[in-house]
Amino acid sequence: MEGSRSRRDFVKKAAIAGGVVLGFPALIPKRTEAEETLNIGVDEELTGVYAYPAKNEVRGMQMAVDDWNKKGGVLGRKINLLVEDNANNPGTAVEKARKLFEVDKVPVLIGTLNSANSQAVSNVAFQAGKPFLVSGGHTDTVTGSQCHWTSFRTCHSTWAETHATGLSISKKFGKKWYYITPDYAFGHSLLDGYKSMEAQLGIQVVGSDLTPLGTTDFSAYLTKVLAAKPDCLIIMVQGDDQTNCLKQANSFGILKRIPVAGPQGELEPLWGVPKEAQVGYWGVEWYYKNVGNNKEAQSFVSRYMTQFQEPPTARSAFGYITVERMATAIQEAKGTDPVKVCKALSGMTFHPLQQGSGTYRTVDHQLEWPMLFCETVAGGQDGNAKDIFKMIDVQPGDAIEHPVSEQEKVCKLAWPA
Amino acid sequence: MKRTLDTAGMSLLAIVLLGMPLWMNVIQLNVSLGTSLLLFGLAAASVNILVGYTGFMAFGNAAFFGVGAYGSALFSHYIMPDNMILATIVGALTGTLSAFILAPFLIRRRGIYFALMTVAFGQVYYFIAYRWSNVTGGEDGFSISRPHLFGPQSNPMDGPAYYYYVLIVFVAVMAFMWFLVRSPFGLSLRAISQNEIRVRYLAINSDRMIFKALVISGMVAGIAGSLYSMSINFAYPLLMDWHQSGDFVMMTILGGAGTLWGPFIGAIIYTLAANVLSSKTETWQIFIGALFVACVLFFPKGILGFLSRPNTTSEDIDATLDRVHADALAQVEPG
Amino acid sequence: MERLIPEIVNGIVLGAFYAIIAIGLSLIMNLTGTVNLAHGSFLTLAGYLAFTLIQRGTNFWLALGISAILTVVIGLAVERTLIQPLYKRIPLYSLLLTFGLALIAEEVFRLIWGPQSVPFSPPASLQGATIIGDTVLPTFRLAIVAVLAVAMAMLLLFLYRTRQGLRLRGAVLNREMMAALGINTQMLYMMNFGIGIFLAAIAGVLASGLIGLSPTMGNGLLMPAFITVVIGGMGSIAGSLVGGLLLGVGQSVTTLYAPAASEIVTYVLMAVVLLIRPRGLFGEEGLFG
Repeated sequence: MEGSRSRRDFVKKAAIAGGVVLGFPALIPKRTEAEETLNIGVDEELTGVYAYPAKNEVRGMQMAVDDWNKKGGVLGRKINLLVEDNANNPGTAVEKARKLFEVDKVPVLIGTLNSANSQAVSNVAFQAGKPFLVSGGHTDTVTGSQCHWTSFRTCHSTWAETHATGLSISKKFGKKWYYITPDYAFGHSLLDGYKSMEAQLGIQVVGSDLTPLGTTDFSAYLTKVLAAKPDCLIIMVQGDDQTNCLKQANSFGILKRIPVAGPQGELEPLWGVPKEAQVGYWGVEWYYKNVGNNKEAQSFVSRYMTQFQEPPTARSAFGYITVERMATAIQEAKGTDPVKVCKALSGMTFHPLQQGSGTYRTVDHQLEWPMLFCETVAGGQDGNAKDIFKMIDVQPGDAIEHPVSEQEKVCKLAWPA
Repeated sequence: MKRTLDTAGMSLLAIVLLGMPLWMNVIQLNVSLGTSLLLFGLAAASVNILVGYTGFMAFGNAAFFGVGAYGSALFSHYIMPDNMILATIVGALTGTLSAFILAPFLIRRRGIYFALMTVAFGQVYYFIAYRWSNVTGGEDGFSISRPHLFGPQSNPMDGPAYYYYVLIVFVAVMAFMWFLVRSPFGLSLRAISQNEIRVRYLAINSDRMIFKALVISGMVAGIAGSLYSMSINFAYPLLMDWHQSGDFVMMTILGGAGTLWGPFIGAIIYTLAANVLSSKTETWQIFIGALFVACVLFFPKGILGFLSRPNTTSEDIDATLDRVHADALAQVEPG
Repeated sequence: MERLIPEIVNGIVLGAFYAIIAIGLSLIMNLTGTVNLAHGSFLTLAGYLAFTLIQRGTNFWLALGISAILTVVIGLAVERTLIQPLYKRIPLYSLLLTFGLALIAEEVFRLIWGPQSVPFSPPASLQGATIIGDTVLPTFRLAIVAVLAVAMAMLLLFLYRTRQGLRLRGAVLNREMMAALGINTQMLYMMNFGIGIFLAAIAGVLASGLIGLSPTMGNGLLMPAFITVVIGGMGSIAGSLVGGLLLGVGQSVTTLYAPAASEIVTYVLMAVVLLIRPRGLFGEEGLFG
């Protein structure tokens, strides 16, 4: 009796182990590369606090894929996006990137908007020796101290964001500033960016607070702001933090008395702010009404609005540009050899969904492209509640990015021999 | 009969684990995920020591795991790069130390208060990693280069090579666990989980046992963590967060708390399920949450707990307690 | 020094929030040993329901009431089907189950209302600020304190002046005795859970006016609420009140002098209380060891 029970136990254990192990091929979709398709791996934050901007990035990416496929694909092959969710967790981002490279054998990878994920995946791509184009992660190190010849970045660096806005803010509002900065590398580098301009612009800092990421209650900081009476409140927190900060600044009456500005304002969080708090003068990385006479961009905007019933955001633009440029580089390199593709991207100049031009710089692989300074119009303009930015000025890329000579000291791209 | 079947089971497991890099790609998964399965299995085993064997609700083991991860990462970067084995040891030591620091506080409470304290102290470690960004990189995380086994002259370890290194450590730790649960100490822990007051009446210092259990648990979690950061070449604060602790507890319960291999089975199922589901659908979180709910309602003993009877009976525990009690008396009474 | 006074006021508002959520958690934990990690999800749910009602033109206060009732109904359904089976088991299981529920809830909110923050304003009449001397106090925050005070008063009236409240207090002291006296303990469990969820729902709608309403909104308030329960003492309403105020004011004042430490302070406070007086400031000895 005892023996047969143990046998049953063992058989059950073995069956479970076996079932678990062998059952997985049935569950996992087979996605290896066929001759006719070109797979591009996407590692993105589809769940978690960044789900909405991530969704918009993927929308832009998919539109670029559709556009290329309509033209016959890249080198005769249709493009297919293999999208993986990294759940806003660096460990998962690394595993998914490795899965895409080793199992799905994607020749190139794009994505990430979380700073930590961007750096972690950048390292993975470097180890795999394959190109990685960051769509939306802003941390300086990706094109700075931890740059790799395999990594490129579409969205602006924090330096560009501060240098596109600092002068305009001081001219418009005055020199007494109060900083509210998120307390992590992204925030610190924004702060450093403005600090580097303080002497030249004659800025007097009347207060500066580093707020923990995910702060829900800004009241303590806001009462300090009221006491300090700055000419301008510089808000550098993003996402939900920005939403909370603005809502609460309004309840303290700050928004009526003190102008608010910052290096980065995005549609996603600002659309979530109620009208009475939809204010501010922000650095905007791309706006759908700034396409000028760029036909491709105009078409992108109108098709996006038809398909999704809302205007494309800067995130959508990052996604589109990233895929579009990656495909172009593969075309120019006449294949997916990593060195050739990266060489094709490096130094590539084009029009990033606008009239102005941009270049993926050879020194650090950062896309150097224009940036806008906009005023937020509460409730939208021209009858469109989503059209909330009024463009004030545009700065060309080379006026706002890190000088090349500086970057040479920080970023050493060691190309393979 | 039972012994040959157990041996057969172990052999099967051995074949599966040894051949993992080969068949991992066949089932459409990358090798480093296999490494993660081993490491999460160890992390869950560390939880098992407390939850399964001692009966204590430990919700802070991710902190030990994370401290181990940062320990080896910071050591490799700042002090001695290219020495994988030393980095592993340092990570293990830091993980052990992190538990050692907390143990004097944790042993003073039981039940839900113990659980809440593990969460609270775990979060303190998390915030230190988060705020001390000059050293740890903070929210941005900490990059480390690929580990070298034999110093800078050798090639960095690739996925499969690193997997085998981890497998060796895994086997060693599981062997240690096997001995631990059969030892008088292990049996005393199980006695505590059944009835701590009874244990104390037998002149056994349960506080001291729980202290040791915490430190051992910290050591195992620290080893797992130190190998994990070297596997993904990255350390980040979320590794220490209480949600990660919750995942480890889930793995233990899912596989079967109080069984030797339960945590490992639970880690495999949970990690693979999350990985595969998140590739198939954006709403994978609903399924993982449902897994938690279903497991608690329908499989609280976990898969292995459901299937097998415990190898150790109450008589074994009583016999051991008698021996330990006699030892304790012998020390008190002269001669 | 003048900067301290507005901070203390801010802290009191924050503390009132923590207190009301903590009281709900504490009631649920105390009677049945259920650690409700999904409590934050009920906060968020109430916020979303109110948002949907207000979008359709409902008045803010009416929306508050209706969404609170709806949330309680859903909460009771969850309690009867999923949580009630766990009453006989150790708290670890309710911890894990509610952990899972919170994951499910977050995704469901994302599916129904989208991953983005949705704009939720306090009622227009309360949007300004009241100025007392040099101190600026947002009117909505004062209203929050008032509403929460009313809710707390109603709760105390219920517990100490009604028969059902008496039974509830009796069950907390001795479950078996209540059952032996022929009282329907299952009804008491439901009532208890319902009250806890009701308080969470009110807090959730009010919080949505203060901070962004998104699928993850409630989770940020959960941890401080747990800490408040521990500091104040499980099962003690006065304890949750004092604990919440202590925590809120402590956080605000720390933010004034050392913002980076404002999060750690809450965990350190919890650890210290657990070490020195584990039952909390006002808690009962012997509960849960």
